Amino acid sequence: MEQPSEDIKLAKEVLNSFTKTKKTLRMYPSNNPLYAKAVEDAYKKLSEFLDYRKELKLRIKQNELLVGADVVYHNPGKDDNLALFFFKDGMREMSFSNGIQPEELQAFLEVLAFDFEREDVEEDVVTLLWQKDFKHIKYIVDDTVLTEDEQYEQEAVRHVKEAGVSDDGLKKAYEDAISAEEEKDVTLVPITDKDLKQLTVYIERDAYDRKEKLIEMLYEMLYQAEPAEFEGIVDLLNDAVRFSVTHGDIASAVSVMKRARDLTGSPSAPEELKRHLNAVFPHASSHELIKIIGELLDAGDVINETSFQEYIGFLTKDAITPLMSVLGELKSIGARKAVIAALVSLGRKDIATLAGGLKDERWYVVRNIIYILRMIGDKKIGDHLTKALKHPDLRVRKEVLTAMGELGGPAVIPPIKESLDDPEASIRVSAVRALARAGSDLARRTLLERITGKVFLDAEFSEKKEYFEALSRWKEDDVFGFLMGVVKKTHLFKKAKHDEVRACAAYGLGLLGNKDSLPALYKLRESKNKFLSEYAYSAIRRIEYGR
Amino acid sequence: MAGELELQRLSKDIVNQLAAIVKTAQIHDPANVAVVSSIEKFIAIINPVVESEGPTKLEVVGEFFYLNETRVRYSMEYLLNFDFLIREFKRHHLGSIVFEKAARPEDMKVFLRVFIASSFMPDPYEAISDGLLQAGIHSLSVGVLRRIREEEGQYDIRKTVKTTYFNAVSFAKGVMSKMKAGERVSIRKAKRVVESMVDLILDQEEFLIGMTAIKDYDEYTYHHSVNVSILSVALGHRLGFPKNALMELGLVALFHDIGKTDIPAEILNKPSKFTEDEWKLIKRHPVWGVSAILKMKGFDMTSVRAAIVAFEHHIHEDSTGYPRTRRVEDLDLFARIVGIADQYDGMTSSRVYSRVPMPPDKALRLMMERSGTQLDPLLLKFFVNMVGVYPVGTLVMLDTKELGLVNGSTAMPDRPRVMVVMDDKGNKLDSGKMVDLSEKSPDGKYLRSIIKTLDPNKYRLNLAEFLL
Repeated sequence: MEQPSEDIKLAKEVLNSFTKTKKTLRMYPSNNPLYAKAVEDAYKKLSEFLDYRKELKLRIKQNELLVGADVVYHNPGKDDNLALFFFKDGMREMSFSNGIQPEELQAFLEVLAFDFEREDVEEDVVTLLWQKDFKHIKYIVDDTVLTEDEQYEQEAVRHVKEAGVSDDGLKKAYEDAISAEEEKDVTLVPITDKDLKQLTVYIERDAYDRKEKLIEMLYEMLYQAEPAEFEGIVDLLNDAVRFSVTHGDIASAVSVMKRARDLTGSPSAPEELKRHLNAVFPHASSHELIKIIGELLDAGDVINETSFQEYIGFLTKDAITPLMSVLGELKSIGARKAVIAALVSLGRKDIATLAGGLKDERWYVVRNIIYILRMIGDKKIGDHLTKALKHPDLRVRKEVLTAMGELGGPAVIPPIKESLDDPEASIRVSAVRALARAGSDLARRTLLERITGKVFLDAEFSEKKEYFEALSRWKEDDVFGFLMGVVKKTHLFKKAKHDEVRACAAYGLGLLGNKDSLPALYKLRESKNKFLSEYAYSAIRRIEYGR
Repeated sequence: MAGELELQRLSKDIVNQLAAIVKTAQIHDPANVAVVSSIEKFIAIINPVVESEGPTKLEVVGEFFYLNETRVRYSMEYLLNFDFLIREFKRHHLGSIVFEKAARPEDMKVFLRVFIASSFMPDPYEAISDGLLQAGIHSLSVGVLRRIREEEGQYDIRKTVKTTYFNAVSFAKGVMSKMKAGERVSIRKAKRVVESMVDLILDQEEFLIGMTAIKDYDEYTYHHSVNVSILSVALGHRLGFPKNALMELGLVALFHDIGKTDIPAEILNKPSKFTEDEWKLIKRHPVWGVSAILKMKGFDMTSVRAAIVAFEHHIHEDSTGYPRTRRVEDLDLFARIVGIADQYDGMTSSRVYSRVPMPPDKALRLMMERSGTQLDPLLLKFFVNMVGVYPVGTLVMLDTKELGLVNGSTAMPDRPRVMVVMDDKGNKLDSGKMVDLSEKSPDGKYLRSIIKTLDPNKYRLNLAEFLL
């Protein structure tokens, strides 16, 4: 039947708007104003059609959409062909009826824009429309596209009928039935309110997380398996770990590994089973899974901390490299902290691999690795730190010096000492602090050598102060004597510079807290040099009042 | 007017409250305070709908209510009242009530009086209709029940049902052969197949369930997978599962026996009894099913559930089945449903259990004996209610001396629709004659009743001749 030309014109406009909207929805996220505008425009066009009509009914052909006999959409190509999009999955007719709301149309348009080419997509257009259960969008589907074998129905019907009914059989049945006694054997089982209540309980209980059950089941399979089946089932356990981790359920992944640990530790378990089962630990440590965990942490997903720690505890040293790689990609502080803690725990197993992270091009990763090495505190890290001290980034070098200081020992002193001459003041200060942290006699001697050296006088006041603060770490007589000597000694030349050193020594005495220094400090307090007087006063207060 | 969801809720409330009124009026006089209070509640629900939508028609079609042509969804909450009201409508031959304008308490009382009184009359519908006219009631009118007959529309439905069924069987066959060949199985297609089945269960439940009575012994494994899927979805529907849950249930049921792919065909199709070693192999299929499903589909919520169902469907409620497990766990709800559907279809087919198929009614009786041990008693109760006391395919002798095959259910579980295949003289009817055992004669007596069931297999009768 021929449609009025106005219908055709409006229908074409609707389909044009659908095509445009499909593109827009693919390009922009749903919170983009253009996204909402495109849906709004499409709804407006459809409303214009439906305002005075009951429905917009489209017949679907491979390259055409028709209203009645009129083509309202035509596209001979394969790309962006709206008709083909519906046709290929068996849709043959579709209608939009009056009363459709913007939300319903938006859901439909989102199906249009859906990326069906993705490998993990298990739905076609018809299934997605079916799942949406639209009230004002109906469609007719030709299910022959589902048929594996076009002749099957015909053949199957012929086959089941082939035996045919035996007239003799029917006759015999009839005769037997006539001659038999009347029989009433009806068992009615009425559904009661109590049954319905019980059913509600069933349905409530059904909403449980099936991952734990899956794991239990896979282990049951393993217990009953033939040796040839071990590998396949362990592969499934690995998949279960991946599945659990992907869903943020670290506890279930841990459950797989706990059972694996118990079984591999059991004397009665076959050796071949143990050999296969041991594969779950490197798998849990793989780049793929660590990356997923990193993403979960970064997204701020709630991860049970105990489970996370347990998971880390099961990882092999294979996880070190992926964890370092992930570390550089994390954006949230909390996520970085968690991964760093994991690397501190795991890095002990293989410091050389961990130190490999020092070659990372990202300065912040290197700094984090140094922090991790520092937390591990193993003497074996010394050489790695020495190399890292040549890193071009100041922040890295500072972290190295802190780590070296904490590591201590004679080996770290030469590189720290070298840093005392670094052109960067902040590095020199870090080196001074590192010596203080190292706390050894050698460190003390190094500091004293520097303070008494000729160039020290020309250093900035703040840098000088760092040296004396560092020295005050040693609450020993010779340090006390040295500081007292500096405080008392007056100079004729370069007096201002020397007074700076005296002020720093007073500061150091304050930190030492030895009351024997009070007379000298009182005296210094009377100095006409306001600067000296103030530092002496501060030291006195610290010694006398602890502040 | 409210949105679709609100309308669905109101529709359910209308059916529920109307059932409540009728129930109360069957005990008390319509003027009784209990009835009056119930009427008031009903009016509070129906009148806003009438005011907003105009004349509002509540109609029974098949086993469902429709409000203004929109099907009222089955609700577990109101299941008893739904079933009660359907039965009452059918008992009174009442097809619809139309609320032409806002209902008044007095009009509702008149309706209830004539409705109750008509129960004892030969033509209850006429009595209700006349009663309303005589009382001058114009706010509501009634329509006669449209009997389900083999009419033109029914032919198309049966054709659709048949196509859907054999598409599914063909798909199941394809899955098995692809699995054997190590080829990829299309989950998209599986979903489409199940969608079609779910749609038919929602709209034409009995036709699709009827297809499960047709057994092809040579293609048993594929028919069985589809039959279990259909029976499971139908049971899920009775349990009030939403559409997407029915889809998941249908899908996992379709793959429940996929582990049998690994069993050699010569064992699977062996005409004689299995040896002990063969049984050992057969009993491995749940475990092999888990591997097959998880490898085929990868891990997601549905495949995990399908794997669990494949693993558990033979374990039994009391854990006496297989595979035996070290820890006893509650069976998954879907596994319990599939377990029931699997037993029923297995027993009524000729490839498993005693190798001789049982008549459906006998299978149900045996399953009832297993209630609480092998099978979940509550789900089994729903299942028996669903397939009826005389499931499709049961061969029955009627008190009219006609021999027939049960072809579908009615609102009365013990009064199904029957295709008469031999007349009262013992002559075979070539095309069969459909009769409804809930039909009464003008004097109020049932026209036909079942007096005996027979085993169609004993007489080598092929149901397909009559059901396809």
